[in-house]
Amino acid sequence: MKNKKKIINYSKEHQKYLKKIKVDKFTTLISQVLLLVAIVGLWELLTHLKVLDAFFLSSPSRMISELIDLFKSGTLFYHIGITLYETLIGFAIATILGTLIAIILWWSRKLRKILEPYIVILNALPKIALGPVIIIWVGAGTSAIITMCILICVVITTLSMLSAFLECDEDKIALLRSMGANKFQILIKLVIPNALTEFVSVLKINVGMSWVGTIMGEYLVSKAGLGYLIVYGGQVFQLDLVMASTLVLCILACIMYLFVGILEKKVRKHKE
Amino acid sequence: MENYLQLKDISLSYHTKEGEVLALCGINFNVEKNEFVSIVGPSGCGKTTILSLIAGLLKSTKGEVLLDGEKISKDTNIGYMFQRDNLFPWRTIYKNVCIGLEIKHKKKDQQSLQHVEDLLKKYGLYEFRNSYPSQLSGGMRQRAALIRTLCLKPKILLLDEPFSALDYQTKLSVCDDVHSIITKEKQTAILVTHDISEAISVSDRVIVLSKRPAKVKSIQTIDLKNIESPLKRRESPKFSKYFDLIYRELGSEK
Ligand SMILES: Nc1ncnc2c1ncn2[C@@H]1O[C@H](COP(=O)(O)OP(=O)(O)O)[C@@H](O)[C@H]1O
Ligand SMILES: [Mg+2]
Repeated sequence: MKNKKKIINYSKEHQKYLKKIKVDKFTTLISQVLLLVAIVGLWELLTHLKVLDAFFLSSPSRMISELIDLFKSGTLFYHIGITLYETLIGFAIATILGTLIAIILWWSRKLRKILEPYIVILNALPKIALGPVIIIWVGAGTSAIITMCILICVVITTLSMLSAFLECDEDKIALLRSMGANKFQILIKLVIPNALTEFVSVLKINVGMSWVGTIMGEYLVSKAGLGYLIVYGGQVFQLDLVMASTLVLCILACIMYLFVGILEKKVRKHKE
Repeated sequence: MENYLQLKDISLSYHTKEGEVLALCGINFNVEKNEFVSIVGPSGCGKTTILSLIAGLLKSTKGEVLLDGEKISKDTNIGYMFQRDNLFPWRTIYKNVCIGLEIKHKKKDQQSLQHVEDLLKKYGLYEFRNSYPSQLSGGMRQRAALIRTLCLKPKILLLDEPFSALDYQTKLSVCDDVHSIITKEKQTAILVTHDISEAISVSDRVIVLSKRPAKVKSIQTIDLKNIESPLKRRESPKFSKYFDLIYRELGSEK
């Protein structure tokens, strides 16, 4: 009961204030849970009573039994594995590649000026339009899906990291230069660590984007994976499979987001 | 030693898309070893430009800067302090202070590390060496910034309005603090400021600049050396005499 001991030192008003915050937090959480229960419950109830057609809408219980079937046939983790693999590879390559390109563009002002219009266009282009080209160039397989994922994440990574690098305080750069630092030292000692917070935000964005990229890629070419299950389920009108796969996707994206959240806490600790 | 730092007929223009800006025009002055010189002038007149030149960060269009008989280059060992402390928030105080040693690949040099430790102990930052900048007061941070430059044993210390970001009370005490450290470490220093009182209270000489393009208008020798602390110097009757003099020099600009 460490917390209680602490509170004793505070004045009555402050205790009240703290309590209010706690109550507030608690009621929000309760409301969130209740909302979920209500939606799931209503969904189940209405489909059960045949007010809504479970054939078009599926239902929570049918989703669960679909998942159990997938699990029993041993294919659930196979599909999850494939999608997860594609997403993580795409995420990692795009993040590293985008950051490297940003470093090169930070380094060379000339190159930055030359490439600027191309990057702007690449950023505005809906990457899905490149699908057929990707398939022809890298083949209709896992590599096409990963390429799609990379394409979607890499431009935004480059742009965000570049602007973070360029935002670096001029005085701090002058300080290092007055100590005789070369450009590489300025990059390593100042510009990169200074952009760390932005890097974590980019990771956060990329978690979402890499799932978009992979699923889009799987829509285009796949023979397995969650995106494949969703497309397949849609084609054979098996809404249970579509909904169940989407649910798994939600859970996976959440877990990945949580990991980045932990990383963020570590990085934010010493920012002003 | 006479003429430790020499600025000889320095002119400098900035080139921008909008045109050419003549910032400095025929600047001449010398600084002796261990001297504390201030430069005052209206804002935008070219004070920071002069310091950047001495630090080797800029090249003059005309004229030359000599330090200890040698032409200034990028490799000349110079200490620079800015308006803000510019400590890196992700580094501890100790690691911040050592950044210069890292840059100069002296991180393993026992003598330099000992010097850092001595300075930290002497000026009361040793117990905060593992704290982060955000955990220290503005005054302490500026002191850490000063030690960061001093541990490289610079030939000359350049201070660009180092107190202007602090509130008035803090400013007076930090100014006292920095002045006493610089004097104790026998540093040659040039302070740039637009605060006349500050300039008089710390320096041996005050150089008054005209507005842009900057020329040296006058150089005022300040005879307050017998009083040690800048705070006390402010109370001397001579102080207000100097203030009037320099104020009028600057005022006749407008
Ligand atoms: N990088 C630059 N490019 C163009 N003009 C500049 C640059 N830096 C400073 N100037 C101009 O030169 C003049 C002197 O600037 P500066 O030395 O910073 O003045 P001070 O430090 O006395 O306020 C100013 O009028 C400013 O507009
Ligand atoms: Mg300035």
